[in-house]
Amino acid sequence: MRDRCPMGFDERLITAFLDGELTQADEQKVRLHLERCPHCRALYEDLRRIRNAAMTTGLPVPSDEEWDERPRTGASLTFRLLGWWLAIPWVIFVLGYALWEAWRGSQGAIVRIMTFGGIAAGALLLLSALLDRLRDLKTDRYRRIMK
Amino acid sequence: MSLPAADVPSDEMRLIVRAKSGDAAALEELGAFCRKLAYVLALQLTGNREDAADLAQDTMLRFFRSLRRFDPRRPVRPWLYRIVRNLARDRLRRARVRRASSLEELTEARGNDLPAAGPGPEATASRWQLQSVVWRAVQELPVHYREVLVLRDYHGLAYAEIARILRLPRGTVMSRLHRGRLMVRQAVHASMQTGLAGEEAADA
Ligand SMILES: [Zn+2]
Repeated sequence: MRDRCPMGFDERLITAFLDGELTQADEQKVRLHLERCPHCRALYEDLRRIRNAAMTTGLPVPSDEEWDERPRTGASLTFRLLGWWLAIPWVIFVLGYALWEAWRGSQGAIVRIMTFGGIAAGALLLLSALLDRLRDLKTDRYRRIMK
Repeated sequence: MSLPAADVPSDEMRLIVRAKSGDAAALEELGAFCRKLAYVLALQLTGNREDAADLAQDTMLRFFRSLRRFDPRRPVRPWLYRIVRNLARDRLRRARVRRASSLEELTEARGNDLPAAGPGPEATASRWQLQSVVWRAVQELPVHYREVLVLRDYHGLAYAEIARILRLPRGTVMSRLHRGRLMVRQAVHASMQTGLAGEEAADA
């Protein structure tokens, strides 16, 4: 398979011939050589089939809905991550407060933890909804990028 | 070397002019059109959907950022393709690319979307087999062969256009394309014991 044309023909011309990239004179040269050389004829036939196979290979493209499901830009991705990063300090803060109350052993601690935790969760929910809205503001997104 | 204005379809030019002026509908239309092209090229260069979608997204960001400076008399595709190719190269260099998928994996989900090819079911099966082997061989090529082959055979670009996108001499495009095709041929022969002669029916 690795062997070259026994007549020393420049095989790259066969590729260019397939692609219609040769001058008329060079095209004629290739045609004449192909008539005389079985080695290059076999190469030509193989390359032609490979080229046809590649040229007719269709690839599925995501639909518009699938595109919309993806986080769109670097900025929206940052928002998504930001939501998580904000959640972590909240959790630590609430847990810390709960532990502190437990350590003090003060009366009504459970109620205060529940209230505090509830407020924290509510704030978090509000914040994530807000971030979601920001992310979903996709109208004129391209105009924003252009600026 | 730039293409004469006559080579750019007038509706493409109009669309770009409207998009540059900030027309929301034109931006949307141009975005959807270019995103698809970028995705397909990125898929051919990286071989998997996730990288292709990421690259298409990054490409569109760059594309719209530089749209203001773009001359609408020039064709969009070479410019867009150059962005995709550069981003793909970056990613491949950093070895951030996932494993290339087989053609079966890529098309199984929506095989019904594929264009029906060949005259009969046998020819179709045989053609499909060859397409799948060629796809895998192309994915295994070194990237500088793969990009030339993809732009020529999967996108149908002329050597001069490929030379402009890759900033290479035309002769180098031809040499790399030929080398790439020879490597694909070897891979095809290795994986199909019957050889390419068995594909006669598919091509007839
Ligand atoms: Zn020969």
